[in-house]
Amino acid sequence: MRLGFLVDLSRCMGCMACAVSCKAENDVPLHSWRLRVKYIDQGEFPEVKRHFVPLRCNHCENAPCERICPVSALHYLPNGIVNVDHNRCIGCASCMMACPYNAIYIDPITNSADKCTYCAHRIEVGMMPACVVACPTHANIFGDLDDPESEISKYLKEHKDVMVRKPELNTKPKHFYVRGSTVALDPLASERPEGYTLFTEVKFLDHIGGH
Amino acid sequence: MLGAEVTFDVALPKVVWGWLVSTNMWAKSIATGSFLLGLYFIKKYPEKDAFFRKWVPILGLIFIGITLLVTVLDLHHMFRFWKIFLFAHFTSAVTLGAWVVSGFVIVLLISFWSWVTGNKKLFDKVMLPGFVLAFFSTIYTAGIMGESTARELWVFPAEMIQMLLSATLAGSAAYLLLMTIYKVEMEEVKRELGYILIGSAFLSGMMYLGEILFARMHSEFSHRAVEILTFGSLAPMFWLGIFLTFIIPIILVGIANEKKKYEYALLGSISALVGLWLVKHSWLLAPQMLPLS
Ligand code: SF4
Ligand code: SF4
Repeated sequence: MRLGFLVDLSRCMGCMACAVSCKAENDVPLHSWRLRVKYIDQGEFPEVKRHFVPLRCNHCENAPCERICPVSALHYLPNGIVNVDHNRCIGCASCMMACPYNAIYIDPITNSADKCTYCAHRIEVGMMPACVVACPTHANIFGDLDDPESEISKYLKEHKDVMVRKPELNTKPKHFYVRGSTVALDPLASERPEGYTLFTEVKFLDHIGGH
Repeated sequence: MLGAEVTFDVALPKVVWGWLVSTNMWAKSIATGSFLLGLYFIKKYPEKDAFFRKWVPILGLIFIGITLLVTVLDLHHMFRFWKIFLFAHFTSAVTLGAWVVSGFVIVLLISFWSWVTGNKKLFDKVMLPGFVLAFFSTIYTAGIMGESTARELWVFPAEMIQMLLSATLAGSAAYLLLMTIYKVEMEEVKRELGYILIGSAFLSGMMYLGEILFARMHSEFSHRAVEILTFGSLAPMFWLGIFLTFIIPIILVGIANEKKKYEYALLGSISALVGLWLVKHSWLLAPQMLPLS
């Protein structure tokens, strides 16, 4: 079994139900996110387009975070999920330096690394990840990549425009995007101007977790 | 359609590894560099080895002590550091580093005991393992940087050579500093240390230049990181570091060697040590300034 995710970006309407349900399900503290939805505006009026991009851990098959973790706090589960053992983590933040997708954070309350686990605790008891259930447009498609009959496998077979983030790094992400674009998936393809964006002007956090 | 900009996102973590990590690399360069150069001079000038038999363990223990202290302080769970030995994961350069440095500390303690008791043979016995351990203690950080896949500016073989050059630069600067302060009369050794410092500064400076010029060929990410380093917010720190580490020491130590005025070497050494920290720090921060997602 190889569990994977696929987001059909043409269905995503940026409502953030997935991000909020993830926070609630996993008790993710303030200023930390396992799953977020980024908005990117492209073009100039009247020719403009807004991209919504849900971003979470890719559960890479060749995961740099797993490789660099000195105590195997980050480890593979037999179903392909890259899981975290909070009690083993020493908080060296090497995984944050290694993950090319900004998917890991140091939890300011536990001081341990944390990230999306594809809701491993729910999968264990036969439930879907919280974000999949909450999505009103069924943009999140989750399932076994090894099963040709699973919805995700069929989706991948039917669609030619399947993309992953930073394929050149050979991390082999198990998180796919359909109807994506470079602007949506490459962080260097869009600007992050100074000043306010929607709702906030805080772009960066000074501290990562507490010491 | 024209350009694109992020109009909504959460606040992202920026500097994950800060000054504690730069200090780690800086102090480790002094500890391992002084050890490796100390061995070389003990072998080359056995009749004048007293100075090095004393300062190899002292410099080594002080600076490896600083390295270990900042390493543990930088952990978000500092009292769990022992897990690195109990649950060692050997694909990680962090783990390899912890084991290698622990071995190096044992060698330093033996060399210290050898100096205290005057038992030269004891130190001679651990010279070979000490050389291997000091060598790997120098380069393992380059392994960590290489494994930091997100920070494409850091490329493994290049970082490894930079680490070795930092060690010879910092080690020679530390000895020149001590020799001038304690007025040690070993002209030949001082000249040789001067040439090692000049050579290391020149080669290291050239490597930085090469990395800056050719970053674009590596990836868009490293190209952008180099732009921040050379023209952006980190430029003042980086260029000051380059000036202090490479240009000033080459001039001052060159004068010291030519004119046999070793007080110039003192200034050159201080400049090299201060500059090395600045260069390491800005090089550490640069790829952390860019968004990863
Ligand atoms: S996305 Fe990042 S955190 Fe997730 S498996 Fe890949 S490297 Fe690890
Ligand atoms: S912070 Fe924790 S999970 Fe991340 S690499 Fe260090 S020990 Fe492993």
